[in-house]
Amino acid sequence: MMIHAILADDEVLARQKLRQLLREEPEVEIVGEGASASETIDLVRATGPELLFLDIRMPGMDGFDVIGELSASIDLAMPSIIFTTAHDRYALRAFDIHAVDYLLKPFTSERLHSAVQRAREQIYATKQIAGRSNGRGQNGSSYTTRIVFKSRGRILFLSVSDIRWIGAEENYVRICTEGETHLLRETMSRLEERLDPQMFLRVHRSAIVNLQYLKEVRTEPNGEFTVVMVNGQKVAMSRSYHSRISELLARS
Amino acid sequence: MFLPISRTRPQPIFMHPAIFVSASVLLGMLFALQQWMSVRLWSYHIGIPLLLEAWGLQYFLWGVICWLLWRWMGTRIQQASVFYIITRVLPLSIIISIAEEMIWVLCFPNLPLRHRPMTYWQRLAFQLDAELIYNMVIFWCAFALFRGIGYYQKFREKEDAAAQLAVQLAHAQLATLRMQLNPHFLFNTMNSISSLMRTDVVAADTMLEQLGSLLRITLERGEVQFIRLNDEMEFVEMYLSLQERRFEGRVRQQLSVHPELHDALVPAMILQPLIENAYTHGLSKLDSNGLLVIEALREDTCLTLSVLNNGAGLNSSLPNGLDGQGVGLANIRSRLQLHYGEAQTFCIREVAQDQVRVTITLPLQFSSGPTEKLPRFGA
Repeated sequence: MMIHAILADDEVLARQKLRQLLREEPEVEIVGEGASASETIDLVRATGPELLFLDIRMPGMDGFDVIGELSASIDLAMPSIIFTTAHDRYALRAFDIHAVDYLLKPFTSERLHSAVQRAREQIYATKQIAGRSNGRGQNGSSYTTRIVFKSRGRILFLSVSDIRWIGAEENYVRICTEGETHLLRETMSRLEERLDPQMFLRVHRSAIVNLQYLKEVRTEPNGEFTVVMVNGQKVAMSRSYHSRISELLARS
Repeated sequence: MFLPISRTRPQPIFMHPAIFVSASVLLGMLFALQQWMSVRLWSYHIGIPLLLEAWGLQYFLWGVICWLLWRWMGTRIQQASVFYIITRVLPLSIIISIAEEMIWVLCFPNLPLRHRPMTYWQRLAFQLDAELIYNMVIFWCAFALFRGIGYYQKFREKEDAAAQLAVQLAHAQLATLRMQLNPHFLFNTMNSISSLMRTDVVAADTMLEQLGSLLRITLERGEVQFIRLNDEMEFVEMYLSLQERRFEGRVRQQLSVHPELHDALVPAMILQPLIENAYTHGLSKLDSNGLLVIEALREDTCLTLSVLNNGAGLNSSLPNGLDGQGVGLANIRSRLQLHYGEAQTFCIREVAQDQVRVTITLPLQFSSGPTEKLPRFGA
């Protein structure tokens, strides 16, 4: 399947960079480029793309106005949005309108790649739901599916499925993904509440693991339990949580 | 930051009308007692109630008059020139002295004692003869008091302004010191990117992103002097990943922060110059097996930050040498001094063969301010 995309940015060089980097993404086909908000709205209405790369600061209306305008027309399927901007202060607004990602300029091809990847997943998911005629959008659960936070000068819309495990550090939690760790000012209990228990398990007062990346539970010679992750990393497990996991492993 | 010098003069507490008039009446009472004792010595008898009444009323009147003077003319009296004093205040003092006496005489028709009955004007003339100079002295004493208060207030204002200026100066100095830290490293990184651009576009791209993030954070912080250790370490990590690209695997980086210290307050950009120093004067001299250890430890009420490198000993480049090393470290020293005075320590020491450790100790303070709105959860 091809993903039809529109690039909206008032700067020529910014659009050029996107165009060049998107050559590396064979599935993405650029169907139009808009240099202003009104131009972008017209383009989206005319071509009905699946994906929109949107700058926030543009002459006339801003990126959010574009989205407001587009969502007002009923007959139009809303494209997935990836924001590309130099300003980090709109991140929460972007998150709230379910943007796919928020790229802070300058960004690398790697970062763009992960954003496109995520957009692709979202677009497939909506296509499938649409195929099943009266699909009910999300699975309806109240658990969080992603977290927005700032780490090392970037804005991350992190899917919880990317989280390997979470460790407590006093008033902070350390979120470990495949290649990175992020320190967040958050409590374990608040985080545990928001995470789907089908997916995440608290194995210790100071550790939550993603069951998807759990390889085994090992009994150490001293009688303690250790959780071994797929990448070989070990996380200590307390006895009180052990019964819960053996139950879970028995089920699967 | 400009702190406006406060222009509001607080009124001295004794110029409150009730306090001022009561004090004046009390003074009159004391004079009354004094006269009562002295007339007894002359075996002359005047009843104490009458003395208290007469003196009390006189000083009550003066209290009210002087307070009104302060109220209406206080500022003019404080600023009066000699000309103004002679042409205005002097005649005013005579008029007020007479007026006060007129009221007083009105209230005591039986005085002076043991005299044949006199008309009001005769009594007034009699009293003025004895009391006019005395009244004038009271008036000019009040005048002197008001001038004195003016001088004192001006003196205090000057003192406050001087203190505020000192604070402003310290702020300005701190701001400059912070500013000096950034460009140096900015241009080095730009140079690295420029050289990478020709050989490795992807790496140059990554470095630009990292530099963008660093600048964004630096600008966001602006003039903030203190930040959470967590934020400082995040900055350090970004800086280290930039350096890692420049030194490609030649240096092993170790970071350790005690979890209790994530919220501890440290001066912004305190670690980066130390790390930069470790690279330029130590680690850059190694081909391999470089080691950089950055630690944050808690020791009772102190926070210890240390940066260790195994590049070169101190003898090869003296810390206060003229090769540029001195500037960054001297900056840190003066910032620490300005922030903490004597409550901090800064030391640079060769701990083993070719291993240099810089250690900073600060009083441990924790951030109480609100945190950023991020992170947030979403469905």
